This record gives sequence, structure tokens and C-alpha cells, in this order.
Amino acid sequence: MVNVLSYVCIVIGLVFWFWGTWPLLGRRSVLFKLHGLSVADTLGSMAIVVGLLLRIPHEWPLLVLGLISLAIWNTVLGYVLAYCSTQEDSYEP
Amino acid sequence: MSHSAITDSYIYVIMALLPLAALMLVIQTSPYQALVIRGILGAVAALIYAVLGGADVALTEALVGTMLAITLYAVAVRSSLVMRLGVLSGEEVRKNLHWRPLLTYLRALLNRYHLRLELVTYDDVETLHQALKTKDVHGTCVVFGPTEAGHYPDEALSDGHGSPNPVPVDTPESPYLITLRVPRLYEIFTTELPPVMAQVQALGDDGLDDLGTGDLQPVLADASPLTEDD
Amino acid sequence: MTAVLMAMIAALLIPMVEAFQDEDIWQRMLAFASIATKTSVMILVVSVMRDDWMIGVVGVLILSVGNAALMLLAHVIRRLSEVMEEY
Repeated sequence: MVNVLSYVCIVIGLVFWFWGTWPLLGRRSVLFKLHGLSVADTLGSMAIVVGLLLRIPHEWPLLVLGLISLAIWNTVLGYVLAYCSTQEDSYEP
Repeated sequence: MSHSAITDSYIYVIMALLPLAALMLVIQTSPYQALVIRGILGAVAALIYAVLGGADVALTEALVGTMLAITLYAVAVRSSLVMRLGVLSGEEVRKNLHWRPLLTYLRALLNRYHLRLELVTYDDVETLHQALKTKDVHGTCVVFGPTEAGHYPDEALSDGHGSPNPVPVDTPESPYLITLRVPRLYEIFTTELPPVMAQVQALGDDGLDDLGTGDLQPVLADASPLTEDD
Repeated sequence: MTAVLMAMIAALLIPMVEAFQDEDIWQRMLAFASIATKTSVMILVVSVMRDDWMIGVVGVLILSVGNAALMLLAHVIRRLSEVMEEY
């Protein structure tokens, strides 16, 4: 039962990964790609780590630390990348 | 490390990513693009080391190979791949009609060699000349000819070399004189900058400064990074 | 679990192709951010597959520290384009 649930979580995370990474190949703007990428890399990776946590519960301190750092760092990184790239765009004539 | 882990099939697929990333890194020409690809290579290498069981090697690759090396290289590339061009801070340079096209053309020209142009302003001709002699700038750009505005002070007529120098005014449509002290930059500018836009001369062409040939050797060594990136 | 890892490798190939084909530096930075997160999550998956605590610690460390280099590089590139657009 727990095994099935963990596979469901991991597959959901993989679907998020593909959904958010696929627009990277298109010719869209940086901010559009960044939106999809931050959703994919934060939520998808967190779903995968939750799936791993269900599989091996005795490693919970490590995986919870991974969850927290994913949530914080990817949000901050998305903000920094958006700030830096739009700063450059505003200078272009 | 268990032997069954090595014979897993996904390891071969992950291993194939490393030469792929390395090939992408090698064929880059721009230094900043190469830095980003170097980060990708570092991430893939850390993954491979961790999968093969070398946890300490993977941690070292991620911390030193990716984080520290990229930061240091970014700072080094940013401070070295730049051409500093000294200009006068008065109105006579920037209010000119030819200034904006010349600046755009110079930026496009230097971009092809992955250099960026940084303008350094000086108050008068003396400090400009002094900055060129003390290697504070790579070149100077001054106005010497009569232009559309046509009311320049007389010291702007001298080409940045202080002493009253007979200025060559054979092409009146190019009011700028660019003096360069780096031989590689002089080579680039003379071959690719049309003389309609600006005249180019090397420092020491007129022979009035005390920059001997023995002093020119460090200048040549200074120019060697410029020759390698194309 | 091996199939999951194979799917992750396929997802990792997408930003690598993007980094190869696109010339814009910010698009490449996006691909770099994506690859950095994906590889560290893959390290975590491998550590759980093998039940290896040591690799898991390394994966979490890379996940939490590796993003700092990305932010530093982004700020350096932004400062660079500011200087280029002077005057």
C-alpha cells in the first residue's frame, strides 16, 4: 500500500518534471520558461522526495532537510534569476 | 561498493552524459557561455561520482569544481576581457553627431572578439595622456578635427599627447583619433575599423614619448590573452 | 525503480539540448538551474535505491549548496550587461 503510494508520488513528480521542462525547448521568453521551470523543479522534485520518504521512512531527517532546502532555495533562485534577467531586458532599447 | 550496482544498465546511460557535456563545453567560443556549460558539466560529473559510489569526490566536485571555480573564473573573465577606452569628460566628445554610431560600431566590433568596451572619462587632456602612459586605459579617443558643432577649444586639437603635435587632418569626415597602446588591439582596429569612422594610431608612432622598445614587451605580454580567444 | 531513473535521465536530456542549441545566456542559465536541481534529486533517488546513507547526505548537500553558485553567476552576468549598456 505504502509502496503504491510512493510510486504514485514519484510518477506525479516525473509528470511535473516533463511538463515544466518541455517548454524550455520552445522560443518563449525567459520569464515564461522560468515559471514552468520553477513549478516543475520545486513541486515535482518535492513530490519525488516525498515518494522516496514513503519508501524509506528511517532516513526521514535527511529527506526532510532535502525538502526544506528544495522549497527555500528554488524559490529564492527563481526570484534571483527573474530579477537579473529582467534587469537586463529593461536596458535594451 | 557492491558489484551488482556497477552492472546496472542506467549507469551506462548516465556515464554517456559526461562526454556529451564535455563536448558541449569544448566547442564554446564565448567565455561566459563556456562558464555556464562548465556548471552543467560539474553537475553531471557530481552525479556520476555519486552514482559510482565516490561520495567525497562528488561533494568536492560540487563545492570546489562547480561553485568556487565558476565564481573565480567569472570574476577573472569579467575583469580581464575588457577594453578600457579613455575619453574626455567635456561636451566635445559626447555631443558630437558621430559619437553614437562610432560607439555602436566599436561595441559590435569588440563583441566579435568577446571583449566589452568600458568608457573611462577624464577631465582634461593631460590626465588622459597620463592614464594611457601608466597603462590605466588601453586606448584613448579624442576629437581633433572641425566637426558640425565647430567650436572646439584648442587643447582638444592635440591628440592626447600633450605636446603641440601636427595633427593629420587628411580626412575631415572622421573627427576622432583613437590611440592604442596594445598591439593586438591596434591590429584589430586597423583591419576592421573603416577610416571614415575614426583614425587609429598606435602609441609610440609619433615617437615623442619615452616608451622604449624594452618597455613594450610587457605590453605585448598583456595583449596575449586577447589573441587566444578567437 | 530503474525505469524511474531512466525517465529522469530523459528529463535531464531536455535542458542539455536546450543549453546546446540556444545562444542566449539567460536561457542557458535556466537550463543550468534545471540540471542542477535534477541531478541532485537523481542522487537522492540513487541513494534510496541502494539504501546508502552516505550518498544521500552528499545529495542533500549538493542540493542546498549548489544553487549558491548559480546566484553568484547570475549576479556577475547581470553586472556585466549593465556595464555594457552604459552611455
